Amino acid sequence: MSSDRHNDRLAFERLVRPHFDRLYRLAWRLAGQKSQAEDLFQELLIKAYGKLDELVAIDEPGSWLARVMYNLFIDERRRFARQRLHTVEEGSMPGDGIAGLSGDEDPVRDNERRERYEALDSALAQLSEEHRIVVLLHDTEGYKLKEIQELTGTPVGTIKSRLHRARARLKEILVQNGTIL
Amino acid sequence: MQTENNSIEDQALQSLLQDYPAPEPAAGFYEQALTRATHEGSRRQRNRWLMTGFGSAVAAGIALWFVGGFFFATPEATLPEAAIPGITMTLEEPRTVNLVFASASALESAKLTVSLPDGVELAGFPGQREISWQTSLNEGKNLLPLRLIAVSPMGGEVLARLEHDNRDRTFRLRIDVT
Repeated sequence: MSSDRHNDRLAFERLVRPHFDRLYRLAWRLAGQKSQAEDLFQELLIKAYGKLDELVAIDEPGSWLARVMYNLFIDERRRFARQRLHTVEEGSMPGDGIAGLSGDEDPVRDNERRERYEALDSALAQLSEEHRIVVLLHDTEGYKLKEIQELTGTPVGTIKSRLHRARARLKEILVQNGTIL
Repeated sequence: MQTENNSIEDQALQSLLQDYPAPEPAAGFYEQALTRATHEGSRRQRNRWLMTGFGSAVAAGIALWFVGGFFFATPEATLPEAAIPGITMTLEEPRTVNLVFASASALESAKLTVSLPDGVELAGFPGQREISWQTSLNEGKNLLPLRLIAVSPMGGEVLARLEHDNRDRTFRLRIDVT
């Protein structure tokens, strides 16, 4: 590896590594599948490395990286929609996260927990993509409304409305199937 | 009473959402992603310069335009070996191959099946040798990008079979791995 390239990699790593866990979780929440989340994460790093000069001058690289990731995700979705070619498997493989749920050595409680998350997984799959993403970013990942606005470019009023509707629909589904009593 | 129930349900939903798990990345994933980014990012930058020279709008990283006609003969499975288009991939490095299906008219409910050799996987479908799509085609060109990963140095042939209304065409792509 040449010295320049080595130094570039070190500079790049220093800027992006502190944000890896948060970005990985964002990729997961957006894509909903491990393989797609990993592809998205990888694409982000490739794109960001190509813009290293720009990245070093940014005050908050974490927010910038999250925005680039979101835009990559949306571009991919648009490209996919334009093609009118879609996989039948899309959206039918939930549960990567649930499968990796660690047990707490109480099989009954583990099982109950797993069933609750499977029910939530299934309920989330019934929401529109906009609603699913907003509720996951806000209620699960703890993003503030302002942060979601900066990430998605959606006005706060619209985000609030989507959040309200998403929660209402989730509650309706989960009460109906007995997950929430 | 109704309000109280609502409040309990809201709290239960919040609690469920807050604890909704996300998986950890596989061990070594971050390191691998960094290495690929610094390797591929540099290459894309070089490609960008080259493409600017040619005034091309084709995106970097596109390996092949597989210009096949749904109702045309090229490139079909019956072609002699030498005429089969091929690409060279680097082991464990994802690469996007674009298949272009040109159709004389819009087609609903076509079935596309991609068959992979042992050493090549489709990103998102690890370990699967055959993946099928139900799909519709627009009149004109329809693009299907396949993100392939060579997981062994064996290489082989990728087959893409498009079926509609009792007619089908199979396209072949040879993969060599370095």
